Amino acid sequence: MTPGAGTPGRRLRALVLWLVAGLLLAVWAFPVLWGLLTSFKTERDVLAYPPTVVFSPTLDNYREVIFGGSSILPNLWSSFVVSTAATLLTMLFAVPAAYALARLRYPAKRASGFYILATQMLPPVGLIIPYYLVLQRIGGLDTYSGLTAIYLTFSLPFAIWLMVSYFEDIPMEMEEAALLDRAGRLRTLWYVILPQVRGGIAVTTIFVFLNAWNEFLFAVVLGGNNVRPVTVAMFNFISVEQTQWARLAAGAMLAMAPVILIGLAAQRHIVKGLTVGAVKGGGRR
Amino acid sequence: MRTLASQERRFALALLVPALLVLLLTTTTPLVYLVWNSLHRLDLGMPWLSGFAGLENYVRMGGDPRFWNSLWLTVVYTGSTVVLQVLIGLSLALLVLQIPKGQGVLRVAAILPIVLAPVVVGLFWRTLVLAPDFGLVDVASRALGLGSHNWLGDPQLALISVIAIHTWQWTPFAFLVLLATLATLPPDIYEAARLDRAGAWQRFFHITLPLVRPAIVMVIILRMMTALSAFAAIFAATGGGPGSATEILNLYAYRTSFTELNLGYGSSLAVVLMAITLAISFLMFRLRRAR
Amino acid sequence: MTRLGRVRLEGVVKRHGTFTALHGIDLDIAPGEFFALLGPSGSGKTTTLRILAGLEEVDEGRVLLDDADVTHREPGERDVAMVFQSYALYPHMTVEQNIAFPLKMIGTAAGDTAAAVRDAAARVGIGHLLARRPGQLSGGQQQRCALARAIVRKPRLFLLDEPLSNLDAKLRLETRAELRKLQRSLGITAVYVTHDQEEAMTVADRMAVFMEGRIVQIGTPKEIFLAPANATVAAFIGTPAMNLLPAQLADGRVQVHGASLPVAGHGGERRAVTLGIRPGDLQLAGEGDGIDARVEFIEDLGDNVIINFEVQGQRLKSRRDRAQGLAEGQQVRLSFEPAAAHLFDSASGERLPTTA
Repeated sequence: MTPGAGTPGRRLRALVLWLVAGLLLAVWAFPVLWGLLTSFKTERDVLAYPPTVVFSPTLDNYREVIFGGSSILPNLWSSFVVSTAATLLTMLFAVPAAYALARLRYPAKRASGFYILATQMLPPVGLIIPYYLVLQRIGGLDTYSGLTAIYLTFSLPFAIWLMVSYFEDIPMEMEEAALLDRAGRLRTLWYVILPQVRGGIAVTTIFVFLNAWNEFLFAVVLGGNNVRPVTVAMFNFISVEQTQWARLAAGAMLAMAPVILIGLAAQRHIVKGLTVGAVKGGGRR
Repeated sequence: MRTLASQERRFALALLVPALLVLLLTTTTPLVYLVWNSLHRLDLGMPWLSGFAGLENYVRMGGDPRFWNSLWLTVVYTGSTVVLQVLIGLSLALLVLQIPKGQGVLRVAAILPIVLAPVVVGLFWRTLVLAPDFGLVDVASRALGLGSHNWLGDPQLALISVIAIHTWQWTPFAFLVLLATLATLPPDIYEAARLDRAGAWQRFFHITLPLVRPAIVMVIILRMMTALSAFAAIFAATGGGPGSATEILNLYAYRTSFTELNLGYGSSLAVVLMAITLAISFLMFRLRRAR
Repeated sequence: MTRLGRVRLEGVVKRHGTFTALHGIDLDIAPGEFFALLGPSGSGKTTTLRILAGLEEVDEGRVLLDDADVTHREPGERDVAMVFQSYALYPHMTVEQNIAFPLKMIGTAAGDTAAAVRDAAARVGIGHLLARRPGQLSGGQQQRCALARAIVRKPRLFLLDEPLSNLDAKLRLETRAELRKLQRSLGITAVYVTHDQEEAMTVADRMAVFMEGRIVQIGTPKEIFLAPANATVAAFIGTPAMNLLPAQLADGRVQVHGASLPVAGHGGERRAVTLGIRPGDLQLAGEGDGIDARVEFIEDLGDNVIINFEVQGQRLKSRRDRAQGLAEGQQVRLSFEPAAAHLFDSASGERLPTTA
């Protein structure tokens, strides 16, 4: 169904389609681009009306946000440590579990599958209250280990669920052939199965990391002054008296830079992962 | 003596049990604790009142207008965002399907809202898009002669604004998934339909829609889950306000627990939210399997 | 420990819930034999193969390899190799790594592995493809890679699960002969599953015909062709299939569709029978009695001709060198040599033994 050349009806249609596409581009990309622009403005330029696109850019905001008093470097570090640790732990637990769920036979298989699915449905706000109380009692609030452990809650079911669909894509005969080749179950998993889901592991890791980096609720309730991920640090720039618009923009750009870069670099993988997760679905367990 | 099966069983359990233990620890145990708390009076602002309270919190909920308001807002919020996402996502996917060259760029643009942290999205919109005077929307509305408004401060407009924010962030998800699904539809059935004299609308209705339906259902389920537990964006944009204008059940539970420090009542609110979420997801999966 | 490759199944029963897939299978396969398991889909032949491999468990019965009871042994512990219908090549490994994998798993030294891999690859004719990945190979090459992987460790038993079904017709015929040659040169016992009776007839030393979870006949292809044990086997073997007609046997003659024709070796009995005539044995009646038939249509295959007749609502086929002046719609009378008649009991389908 390509817009054929020539007939004016077709040309008009192509034009309309391109307009719509352009509009989409604007609506989705613009806020981020506008934020980027704002981060180079002075506070006064930001408040100007009509809004200026041409202005003399300044790096002051970034300087302040990186090196100055409102530096979010410690927050970036917190985010990095917690997200990376949570992602590694999640994948460590999730990949074997997903393999068992997808390919092996054991008692109460359907029940365990349903259980894992159900845990994903729990809204986080229900869990933070007990988390808060428990962590407070054992002194786990505002610690890296505490936060990382709690991040596993939402990462684990999601990662298992996603990996299961990747494992299911491999033909059943792979394990049989490997077993006949005297590989044994563990070596079969290591030498034959895992290499074939490398792509799936990459996609799942990306998603888990993104979710962890962007987490807010758990970070704000269970973190504190020591461990304050970057999502919480955004509020540093907003107080009752005033909002530091330009600095907020710069801070947000920095905070989102890793995530945006990963998103752009791995966009094909991400789109594939979204569709795998959505179309294959968890309803089959 | 069935060694083959039992070996497989042992191996499977060795792989699965660690994850199950973690989940048990981090979800089921807190859940039990949450329900336990909901049956207590636990107000950090009035600690002397603490004690077992039975179903007192739930009874109170029944007569709490703020609760019913939050429930209503949850329904409106979830319903409208999901419907909008699917409608807009599907329409855009259908349109974009016809310009293969533009799809690459659009995929990149669609990725951006999805990878951003919801809290940052909320802040963005609050400061740069919806702020009176210099926010993008306000500039546009003034240019169109609609005047300047307090998009987040006006109770009427606030709900619309947060719905818009959520829809903006998550429509690309529906768009990408539906676009991918549409791209996998075999072209020969359309050719057959054309030979059978089916017009564009009929082809959409009788061929495209039924084939895309499983994907749409899955998108609806996933987006519903996100909408029900949406927190960060609303918190960042309005904090639940003005007043209770955007206080969906999620936020009400949070505020009660951590702002007003009434953890007992907050727990019961959270339990109700959980029950609703589980019920809906159960229903949706049943519906999906029935198809 | 002698590794001759003798395979025995004793009373093997396999159930799936309430459905019985195998009703007590007994097999005795001699070392070095090329043994085919033949039958239609769902007859239990693949299940039997997988039980030999150890990929399925038995509910009753025993599996013995070289007189050792391996019924409950892991697949990897049986020294058995298998070529899957889909080949099951490891897509992320090169051809060389695929073939080397079984040797790697038992800890063979690198030098020995490389030599064995080269040898196996050369035997099947893919020595020049060692650096490629399965995705870069044609169907026939993939199949040979699967074969090489199976033979590289010189197992005591080969199992082949419809290995030719994914190849196009011409390649299938060529590969059939090559498989036979390969097995002969290696001298390893092979058990071969197929639903294509022509295939089984050409490659196997002996074969077992499976029907609905039971073995209905075991023998050499020739034996089964010449004397099928029952009507179902008779209908299954031969291309085109044997013609089967309801008839009455009495005093050395059969009454079939209004004609009375002599049959050899069945004097004296009287019973209802099913008469079987192979297409190659169905002829036009001379002066004697014959079955009234109408020529329905003629399939000219080049070097032979298949004539389809219609007899009282039933279709019969005859194979001959040429059409010999027959035309569509023509009325003829059909007959056969008395010795070419196969008679089966009408009710049980069992073959009636010939006397004299």
